[in-house]
Amino acid sequence: MAMKALDIYKHLPKTNCKKCGYPTCLAFAMKLAVGKADVEACPDLEAEARTLLGGVTRPPVRLVTIGTGERSVAVGEEFVLFRHEKTFYHPPGIVVQVSDAWPDDEVRSVVEMVEETVVHRVGQDLVLNGVAVKYESNLPERFAEVVTLAGGGNSLPLALIADDPGALEAALAVAGHYRPLIHAATEENHEALAALAKRYGCPLAVRAADPAELAALAGKCADAGVPDIVLDPAPSSLAGFVAIATDIRKAAIGRTEPALGYPLSIDAGAFGDADAAIAAGILKYAGIIVVPPLSPASVEAALTLRQNIYTDPQKPIQVTPGIYPINEPGRNAPVLLTVNFSLTYFTLLGYLEASRIPCYLFIADTEGLSVLTAVAGGKLTETLVADSIKEFGVGDLVDHRLLVIPGYAAPLSGKIEDATGWKVLVGPRDAADLPGYLETEWKT
Amino acid sequence: MMESNDERLAIREVRLGATRAEGGTREVSYAIGGERDLPFSGKRPERLLVALEICDDPQFWPPVVRDYVGDLANDTAEWARAAERTYGADLVRLNFTSTKQRGFDAFGAIAATTEEVLAATARPLIVEGSNEPELDSEVFRRSGEAGEGERFLLGTAEADRYRSVAAAALAYGHAVIAQSPIDVNLAKQLNILLRETGVPQDRIVIDPYTGALGYGFEYTYSVMERIRLAALAGDADLAMPMISAPTDTLSIREVREAAPADREAMAVAWEFYTAYAAVVAGASIVCVRHPLTVAKLKAALEG
Repeated sequence: MAMKALDIYKHLPKTNCKKCGYPTCLAFAMKLAVGKADVEACPDLEAEARTLLGGVTRPPVRLVTIGTGERSVAVGEEFVLFRHEKTFYHPPGIVVQVSDAWPDDEVRSVVEMVEETVVHRVGQDLVLNGVAVKYESNLPERFAEVVTLAGGGNSLPLALIADDPGALEAALAVAGHYRPLIHAATEENHEALAALAKRYGCPLAVRAADPAELAALAGKCADAGVPDIVLDPAPSSLAGFVAIATDIRKAAIGRTEPALGYPLSIDAGAFGDADAAIAAGILKYAGIIVVPPLSPASVEAALTLRQNIYTDPQKPIQVTPGIYPINEPGRNAPVLLTVNFSLTYFTLLGYLEASRIPCYLFIADTEGLSVLTAVAGGKLTETLVADSIKEFGVGDLVDHRLLVIPGYAAPLSGKIEDATGWKVLVGPRDAADLPGYLETEWKT
Repeated sequence: MMESNDERLAIREVRLGATRAEGGTREVSYAIGGERDLPFSGKRPERLLVALEICDDPQFWPPVVRDYVGDLANDTAEWARAAERTYGADLVRLNFTSTKQRGFDAFGAIAATTEEVLAATARPLIVEGSNEPELDSEVFRRSGEAGEGERFLLGTAEADRYRSVAAAALAYGHAVIAQSPIDVNLAKQLNILLRETGVPQDRIVIDPYTGALGYGFEYTYSVMERIRLAALAGDADLAMPMISAPTDTLSIREVREAAPADREAMAVAWEFYTAYAAVVAGASIVCVRHPLTVAKLKAALEG
């Protein structure tokens, strides 16, 4: 099990020498306790304490980087089973698979698609992460040729999918310096593949259908000098993947089996419905998801799900307070008061845009709280509304003095009228009812 | 009554639909719930169910679905028949969107439509009431009565409007959807309110409200996981099966503003990713509106 900071502190020299980069031994202990520091940074540890602390303070899931440079993808270094317990840190890399048995044009068009796909959402650019080249030609030189065609690892991270050491050796001669993922070592070929991974300093995937065999295989490869390992549990069904992935993450976090403390990979193309496998991989602990070429709709939905699940739940996402014009409002358009909880904003935005009713969304700063919580917790008050009307210059935008407030803020209606001088109309509680409400009730 | 410890830690079973032997007219009935472990781990639920949503007034329905189903949208009974026979839905979820019309008072049509849909499909039904609290009582009474003994899943009870749906469920032997706004404590409170009203706990299905993918779905996902973990840890007021309906997904910008040629694929992808993730978080029933999503979900859940 993980050790608490104070228990770790007992084993440190307590000299506060700062050689580890932290101001005190206690500060270092606190970083170690959350897996954010390396015990090797302390030069004065006894060998025994070093071994003990090394075992309990490294991240329960090792950070593994595929590729080099700007587009490299780092996965693992996760600490929890459920995102609400803290957060998930490293979104899985989604790599699109091509085959060396395909014509060059087909390979090239997939590689271009991966390079160019960008989905802009909520201030983030979401991308596909790399290309997986599968060895199906039985010609090692053709495998190397297609790896070159896929950029050789220079532009996009690569996964080299082959069981044959000869084919992998040919591909690594081309791409070995760009940290491609070698996929995958099995009981039969692990000695040769571990030797290649060690020689080129590349991450290595290991594949076995049983978690105990997977741990044994990972242990052998680690002993052979390969520190960066990815586990492929080779599930026979998606339900099986979710169950095995959950068990492996539990074992890693509970530190009951250190040899399972690595990121997972899933081959979404191995199942009937790739979309389901991608979703399962995103939700349940995959670090690398190998996918067949996807439709634009699948790409957008998959990248959005990944963004959602890897959003930090400790920070309520907030929208910047202010005035948001919707559907090109004029001077008689309604002004709709709401809060800066992003879920509220997005829900309202969806319904209002769909309704095509021109209006101003007036977002007050409730520190990211929903209407219900903000009213109950005293964050949405008549003073805030009055101050915000002045701050955002709401009065200069429209010729009327009518303010529609959320249904759940009804108890504040009188106070808001008194504090602002605006006439208050109490709108519906549910965003879905707002367009209907505006159509029937809004008259200036 | 004493219960064994094991019993206490399981999700309660809720029965939906009634066959002739069970006093109804359905060809199948389902037992949902019964899980004792995380989704897909340990004892597997009997089955995961996919419902197709239909409505009695298509003017309030997403255009991308209307375009696909064509004339079916104007014939609720035929739409229900297709939901089962053509699209392969396990359940049909009937929404009385007609009640959104201003001054709605066609209560007779509510009972008639319920009967037509019961005759058109042999699958169990989920029946949604009105969109107006003032209409709830009469709509639930008419539809609940028309389906007496069929063990509908009636929707939707919320914290400030649960009495009329609870009354109809108790009077005519139906189960209830209890919807709360993405919050574990509010879900629990509503279940307690329903219990105090007399609704047995094995007739409640939790709807934690499903935010659209990209528009807050992560909150729903985590609340579902937390509800399930609380239940498995022994909280009897949360130990009910869950239902998820990603209703909002078809009105988001990504779907609405997609090029006409891509709109259908975008709608299906968005519904699918949301609904499948809800299943992984613990949902027993997912409800979708695009017929193509039904087949895709069924294949994924059986595979």
